[in-house]
Amino acid sequence: MRGAAVRVEHLTKVFPDGTRALDDVSFVVNRGDFMVIIGLSGSGKSTLMRCINRLIEPTSGKVYIDDVDVTALRADELRLLRRQIGMIFQQFNLVKRASVLTNVLSGRLGYVPASWALTNYFPRDLKALAVENLERVGIPEKAFTRADQLSGGQQQRVGIARALMQDPRVILADEPVASLDPATSHSVLKYIEEMNRRDGITVLCALHFLSLARRYGTRIIALKAGRIVFTGYPADIDEQRFKEIYGEEAVEVEIA
Amino acid sequence: MANETLTRPSPPVIPRPQTRPWMLALLLLGLAVVYVYGWKVTQINLGQLMTNFHLIRPLVRDLVRPDVLAWVPRMQVARTAFRFTGEAPPPAALAAGPRLTLSRTVANPGEPLEIRGEGFAPDRPGQIIWIDQSGSSARGAAFRTDDQGRFVLTLPVPDLIGTEHRVSAEVTLPGRQLRFSVAAGLVFWRLIETVFLALMGTTIAVLFAVPVSFLGAKNLMARSALGTSIYYVVRTALNITRSIEPLIMATVFAVWVGIGPFAGVLALALHSVASLAKLYSEQIESIDPGPIEAITATGASALQVVRYAVVPQIVPPFIAFTIYRWDINVRMSTVIGMVGGGGVGFLLIQFINLLQWQQAATAVWGITIIVAAMDYFSAAVRERVV
Repeated sequence: MRGAAVRVEHLTKVFPDGTRALDDVSFVVNRGDFMVIIGLSGSGKSTLMRCINRLIEPTSGKVYIDDVDVTALRADELRLLRRQIGMIFQQFNLVKRASVLTNVLSGRLGYVPASWALTNYFPRDLKALAVENLERVGIPEKAFTRADQLSGGQQQRVGIARALMQDPRVILADEPVASLDPATSHSVLKYIEEMNRRDGITVLCALHFLSLARRYGTRIIALKAGRIVFTGYPADIDEQRFKEIYGEEAVEVEIA
Repeated sequence: MANETLTRPSPPVIPRPQTRPWMLALLLLGLAVVYVYGWKVTQINLGQLMTNFHLIRPLVRDLVRPDVLAWVPRMQVARTAFRFTGEAPPPAALAAGPRLTLSRTVANPGEPLEIRGEGFAPDRPGQIIWIDQSGSSARGAAFRTDDQGRFVLTLPVPDLIGTEHRVSAEVTLPGRQLRFSVAAGLVFWRLIETVFLALMGTTIAVLFAVPVSFLGAKNLMARSALGTSIYYVVRTALNITRSIEPLIMATVFAVWVGIGPFAGVLALALHSVASLAKLYSEQIESIDPGPIEAITATGASALQVVRYAVVPQIVPPFIAFTIYRWDINVRMSTVIGMVGGGGVGFLLIQFINLLQWQQAATAVWGITIIVAAMDYFSAAVRERVV
């Protein structure tokens, strides 16, 4: 299928200790999709995310982004491609001792000369863009606060602003709300949804909670022990499917 | 609002280790043997603390009255230059107050010399003092000023070592004034030396410890067989170096480069390289890989990743460790002076050897103040940085 935003073919990852984290995974994400990946902890969601931008080198298989074979890129080509793939993390992965503004600006590093890093130089228009992106996530007043002074939800919004700085075509969100409370989870996911709808950015988002997956996902894939056990639409996941994904003993729990 | 999956856990089984009474008794017996032997071999004798207290009474007494301030007589001083050979020295600029004039400013020993003073306090005793280039002084004739505050002395030029001298007339005024004592001045300058000795030792150590610490960080080095072996060599070398007390190193360096602060700097530097490199590398090992992953994912280059994800994580703790090390080194340099490493410890051991307990007390109080101040300063900086 040509023209897909992300295409994964027969992706397999075996770690040096023999763990088969991904086992022959294939799927397609269309442009503008909000693709949710669900599955238990350890089912391979994070590994899959990191194989797409090669933070983890896949053992075999192919990953295409806009028909570019990511797995075949040289190191310098990979850097250029990574600029267009924003990533949002469960633990936010901000530089805690740096200011919020510096954290947001660091999303732009792939576009600026490396020598600027020595003096921490960013031109004025990029700083303005960073503040604009902080305004988008509702915390422009925190620009000069140290990142570790923010609450979890605010830190994740900085993470989103950092991803926005990249002007990305694809966002990889690795359990972006797993460290947040339910109310904050919704506000964070709404920003990601807005990026998806307003900017047309394709989103791949790993989520724990099925209800969140149903609420935000346009499509869902489910991983179990490194294999895809479900591909389809949110509404298709019934009791039977649920037990297949999460195991016979699992019970669906309403929290709030 | 959210669904969650739960699996029912099986009840945990915690094995309880069995302690047998006879094992406990054996352990207690073993401990008893160890401590009885320890008591004997270290010749602990608590009675001596009481019976021999009189021996240290003068020390304790002098400790609470250190030699810091001294009452000295108030003086009027006038000086002028004198040479034994060569050209006459340039005439001194005229100053207000007491003045000294010589009948000749170049003369040989034994030739007559007239010393004339004016502007001094009337009718007070005075003393002529000859001061040579090196600053050592020899007492000359005594005199008394007249009711106009003047005096005239005619005497043969004394036979002194050196060519250039200053002739000084010191007239004692009524009353005394409070001045810092000689010991206090010595202690002050030696304390300054001590702080800088520690600073230089620490700085030299940092220059070596930073690169070495990267070689001693497991997360960076244990990626290849070569790296792993370098890691173990570096760590072993650091552990061995660190286990040698700076006191011993200072003794060795004092033999090598001579007694003085430089030997102390080298001893502190060598020991500090080992401790700082260990602290630094542990800091490098404990950095959060999250930001590195995040910055890499933006398409940043290796240099940018180091600048934006690694440096912010290691620099503040590095600064904190370094300031702490400086603090420790100030404390240590007070001790290494005793074995020839310079600094205030050198002075302290001299005072003790001369049985000048009040002066020794000055040094002890000086050390206490400077160490406490450094301790406070380093704690304040560390709190701000981390």
